[in-house]
Amino acid sequence: MSTATSPLAEEHHPAHEADGPFAWVATVDHKRIGILYLVTALFFFCVGGIEALIIRLQLARPNGTLVSAETFNQLFTMHGTTMIFLVVMPTLVGFGNYLVPLMIGARDMAFPRLNAMSYWLLPFGGCLLHFSVMAGGAPAAGWFAYAPLTETPFSSTQGTDYWVLALLVLGVGSVATAINFIATILTLRAPGMTMGRVPLFVWMTFVTSFLVILALPILNASIVLLLVDRQLDAHVFLASGGGNAILWQHFFWTFGHPEVYIMALPAFGMISEIIPVFSRKPIFGYEFVAASTVAIAILSFGVWAHHMFAVGLGHTADIFFAGGSMLIAIPTGVKIFNWIATMWGGSIRFTTAMLFATAFLVEFVIGGLSGITFAAAPIDWQVTDTYYVVAHFHYVIFGGTAFATLGGIYYWFPKMSGRRLDERLGKANFWLMVLGFNTTFFVQHILGILGMPRRVFTYPDLPYWGVLNMVSTVGACLMGLASLVLVANIVFSLKRGKLAGDNPWDGWTLEWATTSPPPHDNFAEVPQIHGRRPLWDLAHGKDPSDSQATKPKPERTFDKGAVAVWSFIASETGFFLILIIAYLFFNVGAGADAPGPSAAMLDVKKTGAFTACLFASSFTLWLSEKSLHKKEHAAAARWLFATIALGAVFLVGQGSEYLGLFHRGVGVATNLFTTTFFTLTGFHGLHVTAGLFALMIALGLLLAGDFRRRSSTFLRTIGLYWHFVDVVWQVVFSIVYLRIR
Amino acid sequence: MDSWGLLTSCWRLDPLAVAVCAAAAIAYAAPGRRSGVRPLPFAMALLIFVLALVSPIGQLADGYLFSAHMLQHLLLVLVVPPLALLGVAPALRARAPGRVGRMLLRPIVAWGLGVGAMWLWHEQTLCNAASQSAVVHRVQELSLLVMGTAFWWPVLAPREESRLPPLSGVVYLFTACVACTLLGVLITFSPVEVCSVFAHPVDRLGVMPLVRDGWGLTVEKDQQVGGLLMWVPACLVYGVGILGVLARLFHEHPAAAESKGVPS
Repeated sequence: MSTATSPLAEEHHPAHEADGPFAWVATVDHKRIGILYLVTALFFFCVGGIEALIIRLQLARPNGTLVSAETFNQLFTMHGTTMIFLVVMPTLVGFGNYLVPLMIGARDMAFPRLNAMSYWLLPFGGCLLHFSVMAGGAPAAGWFAYAPLTETPFSSTQGTDYWVLALLVLGVGSVATAINFIATILTLRAPGMTMGRVPLFVWMTFVTSFLVILALPILNASIVLLLVDRQLDAHVFLASGGGNAILWQHFFWTFGHPEVYIMALPAFGMISEIIPVFSRKPIFGYEFVAASTVAIAILSFGVWAHHMFAVGLGHTADIFFAGGSMLIAIPTGVKIFNWIATMWGGSIRFTTAMLFATAFLVEFVIGGLSGITFAAAPIDWQVTDTYYVVAHFHYVIFGGTAFATLGGIYYWFPKMSGRRLDERLGKANFWLMVLGFNTTFFVQHILGILGMPRRVFTYPDLPYWGVLNMVSTVGACLMGLASLVLVANIVFSLKRGKLAGDNPWDGWTLEWATTSPPPHDNFAEVPQIHGRRPLWDLAHGKDPSDSQATKPKPERTFDKGAVAVWSFIASETGFFLILIIAYLFFNVGAGADAPGPSAAMLDVKKTGAFTACLFASSFTLWLSEKSLHKKEHAAAARWLFATIALGAVFLVGQGSEYLGLFHRGVGVATNLFTTTFFTLTGFHGLHVTAGLFALMIALGLLLAGDFRRRSSTFLRTIGLYWHFVDVVWQVVFSIVYLRIR
Repeated sequence: MDSWGLLTSCWRLDPLAVAVCAAAAIAYAAPGRRSGVRPLPFAMALLIFVLALVSPIGQLADGYLFSAHMLQHLLLVLVVPPLALLGVAPALRARAPGRVGRMLLRPIVAWGLGVGAMWLWHEQTLCNAASQSAVVHRVQELSLLVMGTAFWWPVLAPREESRLPPLSGVVYLFTACVACTLLGVLITFSPVEVCSVFAHPVDRLGVMPLVRDGWGLTVEKDQQVGGLLMWVPACLVYGVGILGVLARLFHEHPAAAESKGVPS
């Protein structure tokens, strides 16, 4: 049997991980970072869970008085935000971190230090969010933060500001991780591990990462605008100053709907790993599971308006979005049938992991079906903002994602810790959770149809409302108990659990080929991969030399730096797109003739000259790259210096334009033109500044002879970013200054 | 006139379109070229092409309804060219495109042409001109077909080596979908008319009472439908393309022959 050593991330991968008090703080090992993510998520799960329990206790009886209305608003806002951004996303990222490199036969992620940064932004963001409690009150406007409720006149405490800052920090971390995943999956797969063979969990993480880099920047740009409104007294989302609150809804749901799949797809991936192993059959229709994920991802960007049926977009729009939204049921249904077909006729072992996976199928189908009912706009009008919605998305996110994650914990815990979780406690955990979950949320469908609105701190004693709410609260307490059993199981099993061995479940994917827990470098050697189930192939002694027919075409190889920069550029495009759309929205058409400062007062000629400088800088940078390629280091340094100088001239030019405007009494909040103008050009200026710093680092490395010693793609990747910043400015210049539309 | 009457009576014989179709069909069926061609997609391409120009869609697109124009536009860019390419691909495999062809068919150029086909003809002056002058209208139809063919070439080229690798193909189609969606969003929510011609149609056929009162399609709604057509269904076409590209990925990189056995 032939093996090949993996030619992977060795250059940036420290040979040994130190042990000691700071080992976990300083770690860049993907396995430790993965576990850090999971532990942090578990902590915030307890926080968010306690918030949920208080909410349920308050609602247990009519006219409840446990908490005040204001506290209640803070509780449900913090519960939603915590569970989505501090629990579900970190959990999925944590599993991805731990498993993706192992599953593809890599030694670490493509960028281990970036990975560590992404993780540490998570506790930072969590702290920012919770610091609001001490700074005068937690945010209280719901997790989708509808304007104008989030604007200063209606939310006067600093809660919303901390909410914005926390989400910005978390958003940056998520995008960085997603870029890392894309680069890892594209560049670090073991020999023979083609994209047609990677485990489905890797496929799902791959697709999710694209959703993250495309969707999160939209949120970031929107909350930046919200922050400008709140801190600089602008009126982007505030009708009193000409702004538009509906615009917030469009922006938010353009992010928000893909976000639903960001939270669901990796869970689908876990299910696709667990079900085959415990059914002792390969996954049915691998290609369909993978391709339907891509279909879901694409559809998810086109149907955000179905969250806004009640806004009044008009029947025409409603019809299209109803149709589009219903279509999502097709690829999702394809997956469900694939999982069922995988179980069909298999010799199923109902371990706790498999029980959770099976329950996932049932609960997720219920959540999916109630989701389809929402796609019909008239039903949506009836039940929108009632407990029917609450029931629906909890069936999707808890019944779907959380159940899959719990299955994942029971499945992969032995790999992470070397010990199995206790199966008896596991079964108790499972049954309590299933019972508690359905008791809590199933009755909420009925409450919603009876008309109970969500987000009210109490309710009058209407027929059935009291008893149904009480049932729901009892269920929530059962779920709390189930969670305690889980924590107890983890603590107990870490000390006294049964030893797992390398492959306790007879799994087939590569993570089971190494020890439990894996050594620092993951694998002594990675076997040549011949199929989707490398361990099955190993056990059955497939020899690569006699199976020429199965040898796939060699795949294109990618440079990880280039992959990362292109992914980054994709995410930045989304960010600028939102700022540009906001600019166009307020400065073209009806709003354009408003009195006050407008694009007419900009100095086109002067800025045109600075624009030419920036344009030229792309050219000089290209010359520098060419010189470097020809090993003419002195020339490369000269051209690079010219690039930096031209970039600096551009910045000075922009600064002088700003000064001129300030001098004439024009500020960010003067009117909507100035707000959108300053945010758009200001953020571009920040990007130029960041690019200049990167170029200066490149120049320093060049002068120090670093590029002489080893060939590096550093300048090329920085160059891509610089060209992108240049292109963005050409677009901004034509829209804002030349007014081409 | 009622809807049924419109559907049955508003057909216009377009000799040029029919002639083009007939010529294409004869060339296609000519002996000696038949090895491995796929007649079904080709026939569908011809049928949809004729329907887009001759049927009531073509009539209404001609200055009456922006939404009908959009439907015609999308059919000519997004549906006819890929079907035709699928149909003729095996027959063209032996021939390589010439120098100009290669330049036009470079992915970045082709992408620009495909997206340009969407944006360019919805520039107000061009859009109006196309509905007012028969010559410009012909130029529009022809350019849409050409640009559409160029756009789909990197995905469906007859020779495998001139196709984009699957993952790049996905990016190619997805970014085109985003660009198309942006325009759709813009048209849907734009308070100004994209093509002012459609605001005041000259009612040659006497169908306006039916359209405005019977169907309730006001000028604003008409434009909304047009924008939404570009936004939602057009994106689905790109989505189907992406699924096709993924099918190719799995075909090129198959798993090893899977054994059905259960490992002990």
